[in-house]
Amino acid sequence: MNPWLLNLPKFGFFSRIQGGLWAALAALSATASFPAQAATASKASTEPATPLRAELPTQHRAFFESYCTKCHGPEKQKGKLRLDDISLSVDTLKQADRWAKILNSINSGEMPPEDAKQPENNAKADFLDALSQTMVTARKALSDQGGNITVRRLNRREYQNTLRELLGVETDVATLPSDGGGENFDTVGSALFMSADQFLLYRQLGRKALDQSFKAAMAKTEVHKAHFEAEAETIPMIERSMAEFVSIRKRHTKWTRQVDAAARLPENAKIAQELREKHKDQSEKFYLNWEKIQGAPSPKDFGFPDAIDANMMNGRWENYIPQAADYLTQPKAKTGTYLGVANLNHRWVSVPVPKEWPAGEYTVRARLACTEEGPVDRRFVDFLSDYPSSQVLNTHQVTGTMETPQILEIPIHIDAEGGRRFKFAEKAILGNADGMGPAGQLFRAGFQENKIGPDYAVWVDWVEVEGPFVPPHVAQILSALQTQIEQFQPDDAGARRFLSDFASRALRGRPIPTEFLDKLCKLYHLRVTAGDAPLEALKEPLTLVLASPSFLYLTEPAEDGKTRQLTDLELATRLSFFLWSTPPDAELLALAKKGELQKPAMLAQQVERLLADPRCVRFIKPFVLQWLGLSRLDFFQFNTKLYPDYDLPTKAASRDEVIETFAYLLKKRGSLTKLLKSDFAFINGLLANYYKIPGVFGDEFREVALPADSPRGGLLGMAAILAMGSNGEQTSPVERGAWVLRKLLHEPPPPAPANVPQLNRLAGKPLTTRERIAQHQEDAQCAQCHRKIDPIGFGLENFDAVGKWRTVDLRPDVPKQNQNIDPSGAFFKGPAFRDFFEMRDLVAAKPERFARGFTEALIEFGLGRPFGFSDEPLAANVLASASQKDFALPEFIHALVASKEFHSK
Amino acid sequence: MNTSLSRRHFLRAAGSVIALPALESLGFRAFTAEKAVSRPKRMIFLGFGFGVTQETWFPDVKQIGAEYTLPEGLAPLARHQKDFSVIQGLSNQYSQDAHWGSTFWLTGANRFSEPGQSFHNTISADQAAVAKLGQDTRFSSIQLNGGDPDLVAHHQGHGPGLSLSWDAGGKPVAGLNSPAQLFHKMFSEEPMPLAQRQALLAQERSVLDAVLSDAKQLQRGLTKNDNDKINEYFQSIREIETRIARDEQWLGVTKPKAPIGEPAANLHGKEEVKLMYDLMVAAFQTDSTRVFTYRQPAEAFTKSIGAKVALHDMSHYAPGERMLASQARDRAQSELFAGLLDRLKFVQETDGSSLLDHTCVVYGSNLRTVHNLDNCPTVVAGGGAGIKLGHHVVAQKNTPLCNLWLTLLRGVGVEAERHGDSTGVLKEMAV
Repeated sequence: MNPWLLNLPKFGFFSRIQGGLWAALAALSATASFPAQAATASKASTEPATPLRAELPTQHRAFFESYCTKCHGPEKQKGKLRLDDISLSVDTLKQADRWAKILNSINSGEMPPEDAKQPENNAKADFLDALSQTMVTARKALSDQGGNITVRRLNRREYQNTLRELLGVETDVATLPSDGGGENFDTVGSALFMSADQFLLYRQLGRKALDQSFKAAMAKTEVHKAHFEAEAETIPMIERSMAEFVSIRKRHTKWTRQVDAAARLPENAKIAQELREKHKDQSEKFYLNWEKIQGAPSPKDFGFPDAIDANMMNGRWENYIPQAADYLTQPKAKTGTYLGVANLNHRWVSVPVPKEWPAGEYTVRARLACTEEGPVDRRFVDFLSDYPSSQVLNTHQVTGTMETPQILEIPIHIDAEGGRRFKFAEKAILGNADGMGPAGQLFRAGFQENKIGPDYAVWVDWVEVEGPFVPPHVAQILSALQTQIEQFQPDDAGARRFLSDFASRALRGRPIPTEFLDKLCKLYHLRVTAGDAPLEALKEPLTLVLASPSFLYLTEPAEDGKTRQLTDLELATRLSFFLWSTPPDAELLALAKKGELQKPAMLAQQVERLLADPRCVRFIKPFVLQWLGLSRLDFFQFNTKLYPDYDLPTKAASRDEVIETFAYLLKKRGSLTKLLKSDFAFINGLLANYYKIPGVFGDEFREVALPADSPRGGLLGMAAILAMGSNGEQTSPVERGAWVLRKLLHEPPPPAPANVPQLNRLAGKPLTTRERIAQHQEDAQCAQCHRKIDPIGFGLENFDAVGKWRTVDLRPDVPKQNQNIDPSGAFFKGPAFRDFFEMRDLVAAKPERFARGFTEALIEFGLGRPFGFSDEPLAANVLASASQKDFALPEFIHALVASKEFHSK
Repeated sequence: MNTSLSRRHFLRAAGSVIALPALESLGFRAFTAEKAVSRPKRMIFLGFGFGVTQETWFPDVKQIGAEYTLPEGLAPLARHQKDFSVIQGLSNQYSQDAHWGSTFWLTGANRFSEPGQSFHNTISADQAAVAKLGQDTRFSSIQLNGGDPDLVAHHQGHGPGLSLSWDAGGKPVAGLNSPAQLFHKMFSEEPMPLAQRQALLAQERSVLDAVLSDAKQLQRGLTKNDNDKINEYFQSIREIETRIARDEQWLGVTKPKAPIGEPAANLHGKEEVKLMYDLMVAAFQTDSTRVFTYRQPAEAFTKSIGAKVALHDMSHYAPGERMLASQARDRAQSELFAGLLDRLKFVQETDGSSLLDHTCVVYGSNLRTVHNLDNCPTVVAGGGAGIKLGHHVVAQKNTPLCNLWLTLLRGVGVEAERHGDSTGVLKEMAV
């Protein structure tokens, strides 16, 4: 249903909240999409929902009568289909399949046949719209799980977090297959599969984690530190290169002189003249023909592989020597390193971590400054890994000056098998895979100007690395393990005790089945007999615990068709996996054991504790990324030639902005509606520089007040959201419009229909984006959805493909006179807007639609099942509670956790 | 008893390590010729997910039969025209997801057919073939995926799934993602000594026994729905048991010597496809497996042929740059496919016939073009399934694609009643 037709209930809704839950629910059901739901929703909080019905509104029968029943009616039933008396409700899979075929045949243009009477475009679009929506409703109703929560396997994140909590080690889970089916959250049990290969991988990863953990538990914790003066890496490198290039220069000169001498011999007069004539413009090329000149020496005699190389190496000399000379005259070249952007060898300052140091958490420090000459845009450094591939780990704004440099501290995790070399470089030295990064372009521009290159922007005095530092909670885990290992008696009873202790923690407080324990002990015995040392032998059954179904699945026993309340322990587990993606900690377990957790006040208090804990980021990040579909940002590369400043670090920061803003709102109990529109942005120095918002320096994200005319503030002003509504080169109003409908207005367009004929009439003509997309309106099959989608996208056209504000579209294929952007439009059957700001205001005026979509996502993520019709009353309850608190973010979570559904299996 | 079994028993009896090609020098040709038995049948399913440029890929529907002109998109296959058929008119009636080119391609399933679930699938044709073709080789079947490092298959036009294959329960079967992985699986020797491996296999039974006891305990008291889910775990363990049994059978037999060199890591797109094809042939040469599926790279592929337009834009082509890119992709894919057929022809069985004579290679996608899921592009090559080759066949519109799968399955000797939504075999393909 169209949200713009729902204006009335909105006011009714707020005024009726005070009238009690019943009234609120009734009002809410009126705002929801499906009329049939009203009855269900109002009685829902106490009774299970009755199945909902999908029904094509009766007025659409007229469409059949006009265009279909001549062949599919009482007289003829072509294809055994009769439409005059067909039931308009879609209650069974069989009916759904039949209607899907009808829809498909109209979408594909097959029906009505070409020679038959054709419906008028708008009428056809209306009909298709209604039938598509009915089908979406039908599929949803038919696939409704009736409130069942399918048992969940730990997904990749949860598995990784669980091993960390259990063993105090980091596990690389990249080899495990990815979770979820693309349409679901990665917590939805029915979409989490298991395979033989996966079982083997669990054993492999579990064993590795155990090995690491045992090793760490018994290792002496010794803190290492290494310090490197940056110039100690750079100066010798420059000196070596200088010497090398001088030698090249000398050898090349000797060679060419001897070739010249040979060319002067009488027998070479003719060929020499020909060659000189031929290479008049590039005299160097003359020497490539040395073989044609009798008596000329080979470049090999002068240490070059061949003539081409000789010339090339010599050519570089001309660039290098002046650059190096210039570098060495920089005021602090002898006491540190100026980061180059290209060509010279000192683009990095390395941080090598000695191989002997153990895996763990380290701190890297760097003393840095920005130069006076370097432009503000370049006062950033990337911190990169060097192995197995060069990757930006994080990016930092350089705020120190040459007089008072800053000291930057970066925590890093060193893996036992991962790379040991890290480095600092100016931001965006690393290019996209498709070619040279923006820094390369920067160098070329500078070089063309002065034959040396651009000014240096960042100076590094020294770098150091120190560690490992064991975080307190890891130290606790390891020291407990150490005690256990030290007290381990290698007899059968000792092994049994160790295994049972470990299993009870691994299985989240549940006792290990005796039979399983027996078999694990047998396995231990088997390994000892095979000659393993006792501790090694123990690891085999321990590994198995970590690959057992009791560990991998969050089971909640229940009888079919009966709903029961969760035990305290099950509730603790569900809660902890929801907000931390980890098993319950000691406090939750203790409360569960005492039977305190079910008490509403205690539960609310625990929710507050979990939300305040840093581990909450393990909820925020995956939830926000999946809810808003942010993975799309990685589906294409941004064209760095068109958009040099939307480099990889900026892209990463723009994604962080979405997550950080959500986290901030959650923390300060802010309203969800601030994501629609707000008078502040939550950004760091890098993004402020990108958005051209002055006065923000440093790496930490913070609230920054925005001027009234700023397009930023709210999701629609965030670069990441806008950028994923593009293909990396051009904006895609369709992607953007569909995203707004899906995520902000909660009116998701039906899935793109199959078999719709493509529109090619205007292909290849010079058109504005708007003109190109306007084609969608010519054809009912397209118009049924695009008349809703496209206008919203037009309203966002003032943002280019990387979310920067623009007033003209400079695409070369757009005629010059049409380059001014026209952002005006109107919501389908809704209000018109003149520009982005008016459109944003209209969207922001529908907070209840946005909140509704958010609530459904939260329920799906938190309960681990697709949101179904049977969840309607739950959604209404959550929404009602949250709206009473001005949609404050934590209220949604409190309401969900307090709901009956969260406590039931 | 079929040949391959006796061949392996022969190997075992000889008690030594012999790569298959060496058999001929031992007079194996005479040995088999005497018994006059048929060669093992093999199947390859190559799915490219995204569709084709329909204007220049499909032959003219008016030219039916052996006399037809190969259109531009298939032109690189000209030298093999007698060895494959192009079939039009096939589709999966339940496929409605316009961005899913592979999920139901080999299954024909109705994703909504399970009440209370929004996703359902059934066994894929290759897995149905495994029952017959997967018994006598070290690996019953092998699944391959194009490695698009930064992309998930869902957005490459393939749709959900871990490969083209779905097991008997309709669950996704995982695949290998690079030529290097495939190489090591087939040819790299286990570093462990034989006795130790035997002991390990024995211990493995205790391991499985232990987790099975946990699973059984766990299943008590669960709802039917949850039990079904835990059953996936059981299935996995059973699969490993089968593998162990097979491993035991093959314990004395060293892995064959690789007929080609180890592929480099990080090959993408075109390079990857070429190497995967080489390795498939190597797998058949060494009889490591007889069934392959390969969900081919899409984004990485177009990038590797230098296309300047984004993949999704390209699939929504219109005359101009996008269509040219789409056509270039079609040609590049067909060239590689032609290369695979070359190599399958080149390798001879001991009786002088070629690998291709006994192999059925399917090349296609569930997506025709743009968002169209009808008239799925379909090419079948090789003599493995005994179908009519060298023809352009136009089946009646909307003939189930599963009719073709059923035809091929029966052709390679699987005694299947039906497959997916098949209504019978494709009579048009009878020789």
